[in-house]
Amino acid sequence: MGINVAVTGMQATDNPAPGIGVIRCLHHPDRWQGEIIGLGYDVYDTGIYDEGLLDHTYLIPYPNQGSEQVYERLMYIHGQRRLDVIIPTLDSELALFQKLEARLKEAGIALYIPSVESVQRRAKANLVQFCKEAEITTPDTIVIREPGQLDQAVKEIGFPMMIKGVFYEAYRCQNIQDVQTHFNKIREKWGLPIIAQQVIKGEEFDVCCLGGEGGELLGAVPIRKIGLTDKGKAWAAITLRNEALLEFSRKILKELRWSGPCEMEIMKEERTDKLFLLEINPRFPAWVYLCAGANQNLPRLVVDLALGKPVKALPPAESGITFVRHATDLLCPLEYIENLTINGELHYRREK
Amino acid sequence: MSSLFKSELTLSESGFLFDHATGLTYTLNPTGQFIFRQMQKGVEGPEILTRLQEEFEVDETTARKDLDDFVRQLKEFELID
Repeated sequence: MGINVAVTGMQATDNPAPGIGVIRCLHHPDRWQGEIIGLGYDVYDTGIYDEGLLDHTYLIPYPNQGSEQVYERLMYIHGQRRLDVIIPTLDSELALFQKLEARLKEAGIALYIPSVESVQRRAKANLVQFCKEAEITTPDTIVIREPGQLDQAVKEIGFPMMIKGVFYEAYRCQNIQDVQTHFNKIREKWGLPIIAQQVIKGEEFDVCCLGGEGGELLGAVPIRKIGLTDKGKAWAAITLRNEALLEFSRKILKELRWSGPCEMEIMKEERTDKLFLLEINPRFPAWVYLCAGANQNLPRLVVDLALGKPVKALPPAESGITFVRHATDLLCPLEYIENLTINGELHYRREK
Repeated sequence: MSSLFKSELTLSESGFLFDHATGLTYTLNPTGQFIFRQMQKGVEGPEILTRLQEEFEVDETTARKDLDDFVRQLKEFELID
């Protein structure tokens, strides 16, 4: 009997969520033996129509509709499909799954996500404090909790500087007009606090990591992005063999006791070659399929960890593997849209 | 084994050079490929100069200029100290 895995984050437009990448890893190198269930939030979450990858699709309520509604919907799906594991892939739903983790486990659904404490310590507003305590280099950062603090932050950090929302969006600012524009834009959309951060001149690297028990580094794939969209998202990247990045990542995971997937954004300063931690995203990156290509299938390892199977740290990722993101059009009959709109579910695999 | 190069580099038959630590790639012409392979083998500068003259049938001045140019570019790209 195969293991059934449900995956969230199915929107896959020009700024894709990680769900489709995670599912492609599960199907790599050979097709996943259990059922793969896509969990979408909207009828037009594009990935839910990829019938080559999915066996079933279900819509679930947005996290802001409350954990009870989401729990009830997941229990309905569980009753239909037997969900063995759920892999959540969005920042915005992590708190909800942390809240539901014990109840889901009791119902027979396993997760492998970082603890509330680990996630909080690396939150953008807390990152500087964490880095200070753990002696990890990070750019000078000021957390602006009141609009009146912006002028002082600009004075202290100087230009160029980054203005960032605590969850989403980051803008490089060259002058005070840029700062005010982006500060107001983020404030209107996401509210305060807003992060003001020093710009480190150098090269940016990302590392997709998986932490095991106590934050042991089980796998890590460092990359350099070689093509960016206008939103700064990678559409091409290459894997690296870089011991300094791995050591830096290992130390961070251990200090955070991070058990789960994450993506680290790291800057190497041009002048000193020193590494600076910019951010930790508490989930797989959208480019996670590259990990499978580099012989580190981290999503498959997450399934084993969720089910409590014994796992070992993976051998180093292969360097020089490249991905290029290629948009494609999926065609689907009207009944697919109809089924999802009316019933909130769609079944690609014929019932046996 | 310690290397002259700052990070692990792989040169393909076609002259495509890949830096495993940074992901940067370079294209080397036949002269650059020849010098690079000599450096990888640990051959010293004066010997590379002699081998360059033999391989490409050029005089010492030309060979020296090619070698100096190549080494300068390796330094510019921070591939060697």
